[in-house]
Amino acid sequence: MRWTVLRRFAISVMLAALVLPSMARTRPHYGGTIRVEMEGDPWQRPDSLARRLVFDGLTALDANGIARPALAIEQKSESDDHRWQFRLRAGVHFQDGTPLTSVNVVSSLMAACPANCPWTMIRAVGSSVVFTSDSPMPNLPQLLASDDYRIVLAGAGSGTSIGTGAFQFAGFSNGVLTLAANDTCWQGRPFLDAVEIHVHRSVRDQWLDLGVGRADLVEVPAEQLRQAHDQRLTVATAPAVTLLALQIPDLGFLSNANLRAAIALAIDRSALSNVIFQKQGEVTASLLPQSLAGYSFLFATDRDVNKARELRGGLTTPAILIGAEGSGAMQLAAQRIALNLHEAGINAQAAGSSQHADLVIRRIPIEGGDAAAALESAMRRAGLTAPVTEQTLAALYQAERQFLERRTLIPLLFLPRAWAAGGRVRDLRLGPDGLPDLAVASLEDSK
Amino acid sequence: MVSAFAGTASIAAQPPVAQTGPWDQPAGALAEQIAAVVGLGQAHLTVRNLSTVRSDELSAISRLLEQDLKAHGVTTSGAEGASAVRVTLSEDARQRLWVAEIVEGTETRVVMVALPPGNTRTGAAASGLTLRKQTVLTTKNPVLAAMESGNVLVAVEPDAIAVFGRGPEGLKPQTLMNIGQKRALARDPRGVIMPAGGGQGFEVWLPGVECTSSLAPDQTTTDWKLHCHESDDPWPIAWPNAAGTAMTMNAATQGNVQARSLSAFYNSARNYFTGVVSPGVGVDLPPFYSAAVIPRPASGVALLISGIDGKVQLAENGALKQVTGARDWGSDFAELHSGCGAGTQIVASGSGEASSDSLRAYEVPSLEAVPASAPLAMEGTVAALWSAPDGMSVLAVVRNTRDEYEVDRVTALCN
Repeated sequence: MRWTVLRRFAISVMLAALVLPSMARTRPHYGGTIRVEMEGDPWQRPDSLARRLVFDGLTALDANGIARPALAIEQKSESDDHRWQFRLRAGVHFQDGTPLTSVNVVSSLMAACPANCPWTMIRAVGSSVVFTSDSPMPNLPQLLASDDYRIVLAGAGSGTSIGTGAFQFAGFSNGVLTLAANDTCWQGRPFLDAVEIHVHRSVRDQWLDLGVGRADLVEVPAEQLRQAHDQRLTVATAPAVTLLALQIPDLGFLSNANLRAAIALAIDRSALSNVIFQKQGEVTASLLPQSLAGYSFLFATDRDVNKARELRGGLTTPAILIGAEGSGAMQLAAQRIALNLHEAGINAQAAGSSQHADLVIRRIPIEGGDAAAALESAMRRAGLTAPVTEQTLAALYQAERQFLERRTLIPLLFLPRAWAAGGRVRDLRLGPDGLPDLAVASLEDSK
Repeated sequence: MVSAFAGTASIAAQPPVAQTGPWDQPAGALAEQIAAVVGLGQAHLTVRNLSTVRSDELSAISRLLEQDLKAHGVTTSGAEGASAVRVTLSEDARQRLWVAEIVEGTETRVVMVALPPGNTRTGAAASGLTLRKQTVLTTKNPVLAAMESGNVLVAVEPDAIAVFGRGPEGLKPQTLMNIGQKRALARDPRGVIMPAGGGQGFEVWLPGVECTSSLAPDQTTTDWKLHCHESDDPWPIAWPNAAGTAMTMNAATQGNVQARSLSAFYNSARNYFTGVVSPGVGVDLPPFYSAAVIPRPASGVALLISGIDGKVQLAENGALKQVTGARDWGSDFAELHSGCGAGTQIVASGSGEASSDSLRAYEVPSLEAVPASAPLAMEGTVAALWSAPDGMSVLAVVRNTRDEYEVDRVTALCN
């Protein structure tokens, strides 16, 4: 049944490809509703598609992952990056008509980051927002482009869903989140009239819906990329944008550095890549992909079970529970790592979820095209709050190595992020983290 | 224990040096850093390539490293007890990175040198004529239309008009005049600019706004005054030019060549013209993105349009006819009086969805568009395309991969 449906879809895509060139490609058409389906929560990382459409940041990442002005039109660094001043763009309004001011930007950022922020203090000064810190903040413009720091209108009657973005919240019903075009968006009205996001939908159901024309855009997990290509789905892929890493807390019996090092050496990354993720992963022991930093190869990825046994010594531990963020292949990865640890004489088992696990396999988005900022962002997600002030690759390598030698975060694989699109979707572009930018997408049959 | 140390100077991109090969300087810089770690003595050097450096260049790079190490007192050999130096030629998306791992006993130290990425060049094949481009302006602000006039370039932005003056060091910003745009714009707003009647100013059309600016003969180019008002009047899509070619057609006399301009109503909430033009062309036009008046052997002139349905059609003698051979065209085209071939060509943007667009010249002798040039790569997406006032060049606005806007002047060379 599934094969039949998908084959029908594949044929329809081929037909579309045959029909479309009979006339010239045009500028994007306005109008239409795009139907997106996803497994995760579109308001939360790493699937924050809705968050990205409704809210803007002071800065935004361009196609190359470099920060450019967004709600802030100008930025100025002083005192060796200890102080940053961002001047706000004039004439921007929230979707309810409230003007964007430095005061509501400060309120939003303080709510978004109550502690361990990249800055020490933030305040409104006229039409500017000023950040100060005890440590230099060379990566602040890049960090402010993150989904975490998008500007939300605080105290709005309908909660916290009012921003300045291309789309505005229109409703949530029966698992479908509806966003409507913001006609007065400061970046211009988007081409689409609306975006419907069917949330918490299994990948299998997503593909079936795409096949019968009930969805326009669905997820393609890394381990199913080959299958998607075999079935001739129209797939957009962002390579190596998600870091799969094992987080080991420096707590309890896991505070033993030798045990953490033994765990790191026992993991068979190649098997994870080849078996679980169908050779779509890029094996790594580094936080940054080779394409971003160029020195990733300096971190050895080899498995060494004998060395792991040696490091463990005679230590006996309670059963280590290994959990994973996400389902499917992520749970299989947890099982595989438990098996790897068993082979090194370490008592471990898969936990089924990440809630009560000792070790957690995490998906960490690698954001942007700036190595220093991407490293700081990844390290912050791993719980390290110290800024990355180094800017040369040699110094970054040093900082990363020092961090990884703690063995509290074990990089495993870089995974691509991919989406399959129906025949009427046009101008689909993926952002630097692999999420689609629907503010510039359009539909073929709209006029 | 692994450590890395490299000074700021050594990690900075190495500029090319005249009279030397491309690898001399990075090899020298890396050798200097290696020698600082190893000191005087022997080293066992291996070089591997994880980059796009051609494999046949590897031996030359190895030789350069050996020579430079020797100059710093480090002799390369296979002797036992020598420091092991493993050099990896690596790269990321932005630059090349040469890394040396120096193993001495149980300790490994790392030094590295960054150098610019390899050059990529594109070539163009020749046919009837060759298009060439010259970037006249690069700016971070969106440019909707642009016009060159004497020593100034006027760029139309969504909410301002920017005037740049040409000096010995190129274009420099002179004046920025706010339009006072009150209307919310669409995602891809468009605009038109054309010379004012007396040639001492310009007129601008934007969604819902019309502006005029003038300059008295005794004023300098920094004295521009801009007057804007809300307007839904039609935009000019063709006008008489200095090349002497008639740019319009008269509805009443269908095909009678007259030197009058042609205007079209623009849908300010969207990105296209409604199809209503003034004066009429004797046939109802569908909504379209671009239009150009082209000379025709039989009828004098005809109006070429690219419809929002993707069809390229010709309005001629009171009839609308589909043009074949335009499948590769995007939505934008402009007329170019090159003097080559038939004298007038249509320069059309490519229809690919790739990040880099292209322009190509075509002639339309009958109802078929015939390529007259090879495609010209534009290194970005063509966002707007308009004929220059003299018709001898086309100005293209290109949004490049760095999200900057380039104004490129495109001209033709006869082959």
